[in-house]
Amino acid sequence: MNLRPHHFLLWAAFIALMFAMPQFVGNGTLRTMIFACYLAIFAISWDILSGRTGYISFGHPFLVGIGAYTTAILTRRYGFPVEASIPLAVLFTMIGGLIVLLPALRIKGSYFALVTLAVMELMYQLVPVVRPDLTGGTRGISRLPALTRGAENGYYLAAGLMLAIALFAWLLMRTRLGTALWAIGMNEESVRGSGLSTTRLKSFAFLVSAAIAGLGGAFYAHYLGTITPRAFFDINVLFQIIVAVLIGGAGTILGPIIGAFFMVFMLEWLRPFLPGQERFFVYGLIALLLYMYQPKGIMAIIDSGWAKLRGART
Amino acid sequence: MMQIIIQGLLLSGLYALIAMGFMLIFSIGRTLNLAYGAYIMVGGYIYFWLSQQIGMPKVVGFLGAVVVGAIMGLLKHRLIVKPLKGDPVAVEISTLILAVIMQSAVVLLFGDASKILLPIIPGVVTISGAQVTYNILAATVMSWVIILALYAFIRGTHTGRAMQAVSMDQKGAAISGVDPDRINMITWAISGGLGAAGGVFFASYTQLSPTMWVAPVIISVAIVIVGGIGSIIGTLIVAHIIGFLEIIVVAVWAPELRGVFTMLLIIGVLIMRPQGLFGREEH
Amino acid sequence: MNALEIRNLVKRFGGLTATNDLSFDLAQGESLGLIGPNGAGKTTVFSQIMGELRQTSGTITFMGEEISTLSTPDRIAKGVSRTYQVPRPFADLSVRENIRVGLMPDSLRAMIFGTGDTAREGEIAQSVGFATADLDRPATELAMGDLRKLEFARTLATGAKVLLLDEVFAGLTTGEIAMIAELIQDLRQRGFTFLMVSHDLPAMEPLIDRAIAIERGTLLANGSFKEVLADHAVRASYLGEG
Repeated sequence: MNLRPHHFLLWAAFIALMFAMPQFVGNGTLRTMIFACYLAIFAISWDILSGRTGYISFGHPFLVGIGAYTTAILTRRYGFPVEASIPLAVLFTMIGGLIVLLPALRIKGSYFALVTLAVMELMYQLVPVVRPDLTGGTRGISRLPALTRGAENGYYLAAGLMLAIALFAWLLMRTRLGTALWAIGMNEESVRGSGLSTTRLKSFAFLVSAAIAGLGGAFYAHYLGTITPRAFFDINVLFQIIVAVLIGGAGTILGPIIGAFFMVFMLEWLRPFLPGQERFFVYGLIALLLYMYQPKGIMAIIDSGWAKLRGART
Repeated sequence: MMQIIIQGLLLSGLYALIAMGFMLIFSIGRTLNLAYGAYIMVGGYIYFWLSQQIGMPKVVGFLGAVVVGAIMGLLKHRLIVKPLKGDPVAVEISTLILAVIMQSAVVLLFGDASKILLPIIPGVVTISGAQVTYNILAATVMSWVIILALYAFIRGTHTGRAMQAVSMDQKGAAISGVDPDRINMITWAISGGLGAAGGVFFASYTQLSPTMWVAPVIISVAIVIVGGIGSIIGTLIVAHIIGFLEIIVVAVWAPELRGVFTMLLIIGVLIMRPQGLFGREEH
Repeated sequence: MNALEIRNLVKRFGGLTATNDLSFDLAQGESLGLIGPNGAGKTTVFSQIMGELRQTSGTITFMGEEISTLSTPDRIAKGVSRTYQVPRPFADLSVRENIRVGLMPDSLRAMIFGTGDTAREGEIAQSVGFATADLDRPATELAMGDLRKLEFARTLATGAKVLLLDEVFAGLTTGEIAMIAELIQDLRQRGFTFLMVSHDLPAMEPLIDRAIAIERGTLLANGSFKEVLADHAVRASYLGEG
């Protein structure tokens, strides 16, 4: 796994920075950061599957949604405590994802993206009509039990969860398994030709990705307090997740986090100048231009800037 | 019963038209063009703007929509697909971003609320006891005219045959003297025009709204996937399967479940027979 | 025991017959050359042995065990592996990491918790002629000759004892051909079994014990290299004489 002292230092500095934030910023900014943390969790989840193996998932909101709906239904309709409902939400997300999407891993390229897109749209149409007594139909489910009170505690929870997931994903991706997943994204045939069962590798990546999406979705649902189908099974949610990964840098751990914070804060900073719909237009345009300029994201821009700086010094 | 058959035929014709433009791009670059929905939406809105807000003749509105759609297709090929060197993943993702940008542009220009298009041709006719508006009848007839013209173009002209050649084998086509770049450009333009034309009819069938682009994309995806890549006949047949499926589900079951079976059909077919019901196996 | 026994192998694509009732044996420790004109179906035979293509009918037996229905990774685990005409490296991975993928066991647990054998990675790289400085270069930076060496290294890394080499000399310089040839000779000494395809017949001749010739998926001749090349049918189809 090859851990070095400077890895510990960098992680410690990153964790300290995240936890020191409430000392420097107000509650409004903290709430924005909470959203960015959850988006970063979803982005890391997407990246583990799609950023590494190249299987583009358009269905991640579906996974996040299963996590959110499971914990909401269990706590509100069946009176489960959150300690039980959240682990169950993760389990359900993995099972639900497994049943619906795992067969899709047998097919390739654009077709995989299509099935995942179809699954998400299917959920959007099914959730309001199937057992509306459980799902609350289009109005969703409200008054979910809160896990924390106040912006500051909410932030510590979201940031702590995000850091734990990021650290886990980082460690996992540094193993030989991480290398193999990355290799699938470059040439799947050659991975099979190296004697590795790619179906098993992809399934594993998918399960880890689903577990993280479900975990993030469940915590996010309790933070929001109210969930509706439109807030989860929606192409705009998908857009936010994918753009966060790509703008930050796919195939990295820090990339999706940077991307999520960058996109969420850009939307906030644009608010005073562009109060209306223009904001989303500009936001989308910036995302597209950044992506066209550097498909490998901000991480690659930082890397090349850093390399230039070092080149200039020596 | 008659009602179902007539409504099914009408809806299927419209779906076939919408799916054609999407199929063209998918068969050429194996590219999932999510922004295809944007052509449909823009086509509908341009028609609405020209014919209902400015008060131009409907024909001008329709042609305007088609021209704008074709230009969008061209620009997309020039500004996005070419710089990304046709990398399918990058194109897919940038088309998703573009579609969301177009959606907010429409909200910006026309507002959030849904708009109702005036019928292209007003009036109602009764065919074997089934009530059919001239509007929908006209949309279906126009769809068929366009589909047949496209079929004649692809089968009968040099450019059309070159498009087919490129869709089967880019490199092979290049060796035999076809310029794949030029053909790609033409295909993107035709696809944009078809999408916009389909958008006018689709909007008159349902209504105009900034999120109207998602459903037709899903339908196109379903038709092309179930029908198989590069098969016009397959696309036509599956458009009818899906059109009738929806009408029957709405009539005998519940309107909310309209799209559910379409999704299940896509998922089922993709997993059991990834090359589609009528597609050729690729290896 | 024979390393490979191919019996009545048939592969049809639609109306086209790519492999036509092909049978041959490959003894353990033997090196067999597979020759035939372009489009004769040599690569299709390789793909069927490896399970990348499923045969229409016929059987493939490896070390006395039928493998006709196994998946590619399972066949590699039994000890047979191949190279490709066009090298397929992992472009953004380094030479070392490319070899590492070949060395990985097909077990998630071992891939997560196991530690790699970096010394072995270096040894394999060195054995195909990479310098230590090359180990950390990404595959995208490599020239054609180096990519082919990398392909060879990754195939060796799977631990296979039976190697199918598809055009192993294509794109190599004379010096590189000599080096790979020497490596193959060395591996033959160590008991490896080879089935190889090459257009470079002079380079292949000293590396093989025996040859078979096919055309349109049908076996034309089987014998020593000289016998096969002297065969009337082979001369007619392959060398355009007759």
